[in-house]
Amino acid sequence: MTQLFMLDVPENTPIVAVADQDPAITVDRVGPYFRIASDTPIVIDRRATGCRHAVWYSSVAGLMRSRITQWDKDAMRIEPA
Amino acid sequence: MTTHRIGLVVPSSNVTVETELPALLRRHPAARFSFHSSRMRMHTVSAAALAAMNAQRERCIMEIADASPDVILYACLVAVMVGGPGEHRRVEGAVAEQLATGGSAALIRSSAGALVEALHAVQATRIAIVTPYPRPLAEQVVGYLESEDLAVADWRALEVADNAEVGCIPGERVLEAARSLDRTGVDALVISACVQMPSLDLVDAAEQEFGIPVLSAATAGAYSVLRSLRLPVAVPGAGSLLRADTTSVPA
Amino acid sequence: MAELPHIIRGVDHVAFPTFDPAATVAFYRDVLGFPVVHSICAAGWGPERHPDFIHFFFDIGNGDRIAFFYYFGFEPPRGGSKGDVYARFDDDAPNFFVTSRHLALHVDSEADLLEYRRRLDNSRWPVELQLQHETIESIYTHDPNGYFFEITRALRPVTPPEDLDANLTVDALVEVVGGPDVSMAALLARKAELIVERAAGWEPAKR
Repeated sequence: MTQLFMLDVPENTPIVAVADQDPAITVDRVGPYFRIASDTPIVIDRRATGCRHAVWYSSVAGLMRSRITQWDKDAMRIEPA
Repeated sequence: MTTHRIGLVVPSSNVTVETELPALLRRHPAARFSFHSSRMRMHTVSAAALAAMNAQRERCIMEIADASPDVILYACLVAVMVGGPGEHRRVEGAVAEQLATGGSAALIRSSAGALVEALHAVQATRIAIVTPYPRPLAEQVVGYLESEDLAVADWRALEVADNAEVGCIPGERVLEAARSLDRTGVDALVISACVQMPSLDLVDAAEQEFGIPVLSAATAGAYSVLRSLRLPVAVPGAGSLLRADTTSVPA
Repeated sequence: MAELPHIIRGVDHVAFPTFDPAATVAFYRDVLGFPVVHSICAAGWGPERHPDFIHFFFDIGNGDRIAFFYYFGFEPPRGGSKGDVYARFDDDAPNFFVTSRHLALHVDSEADLLEYRRRLDNSRWPVELQLQHETIESIYTHDPNGYFFEITRALRPVTPPEDLDANLTVDALVEVVGGPDVSMAALLARKAELIVERAAGWEPAKR
């Protein structure tokens, strides 16, 4: 199970929206955070989000038993730890 | 016995502070004092000259603090009072900040603040004062004291503008002016509201004659210095203000 | 833990040494327009040998002040080639670290930010960098003493969830630095646990 949290602030909503389009990814809420989860590794394409670098690289608030194996100008990839 | 170092910031032409304050504190039964001055150039007691004098304050504090005094007395009363009500607090605050910023442990008092402090200490509410000043400056002194919750029932301005001359005003003239004051309902008399006009020898006799506490800028200055150093206020022969603690001084 | 009343009132002054008071005054007072609001002339009367000095203050808004010490006849201690007059570093010190300590001042709008940009660009100390971060936009330069200096505006107000998030980050950080694995990965993992523990029950503050 791959799980990460993102704070619900305007800069992050495009990233969450792109993740939500993937049928393998579920998005729900824990307090003011989005919880993004999947049984498989999660990949989010940066260009699809339209995100600036500063926002992209500060968007992850927490990782639940997961680790980031790619986080660059192209994509972020999160896998189970 | 430790010697308490008293720093004095005086107008350059002032001779009376450095005469009367040591004379007073020499009488203290239990403490010893040394006196060290820095001088602010001033000859004429006018508003412009006083402003120019005040501009030298920072230099004088710089110099006197080098001597590591225990307390500094900023000894020109009218120079502070022409700055308007509350000026002694502003000046003392600025000097305290200057001293603290440089790591000096010296305390600061002013003659203007000391006079107010001493009048409150004798619980005066209605006073009469003698000043050597030209009338406009005397009026400012009156106004200043009135802003400190003191009613000034009557006052004299001897109108001597040359500060060196002020230092030579004969005692009889000061006493005559004091006697001429309307003392109705007055509970304290300031026989010299000026640190340059000599009055020390008059204070005790005047108090006995008038039957009310008699203060001078000098006796008030000595009072404030003693209180700041937490020393007993027990100086004989200069009025009841300075005998406040007389019964409590150990033999 | 009992509530501690938050009665502190901002920056009385942030103080730095300078060896060039004329340029410092030119930068803060004349270029940026920060008024000189206070000064103290003093000597070193305490136990340490200490030159005469001037301590002078500029208003930086909200009654806060930036203050400088100028010590007469005092030479700067020897140091490396990088850094400011207070902290010198060798050539190999990384720039991200050298600029980590800086003062950032706040403006309310884009127009105000551009006005300070204009003032700096018309001076000997032009803006070196203009950046947008997540929620702020900033301009940067070095002052005459080499102090790294930022003026910033918020792109949007900070929201209460961000306060919560900041507190979770700090709590996770304090725990992680006391633990066996001191890393960003460990921090994000611990933070996720704290999110699950605390965020679900978090009530948004009244708007």
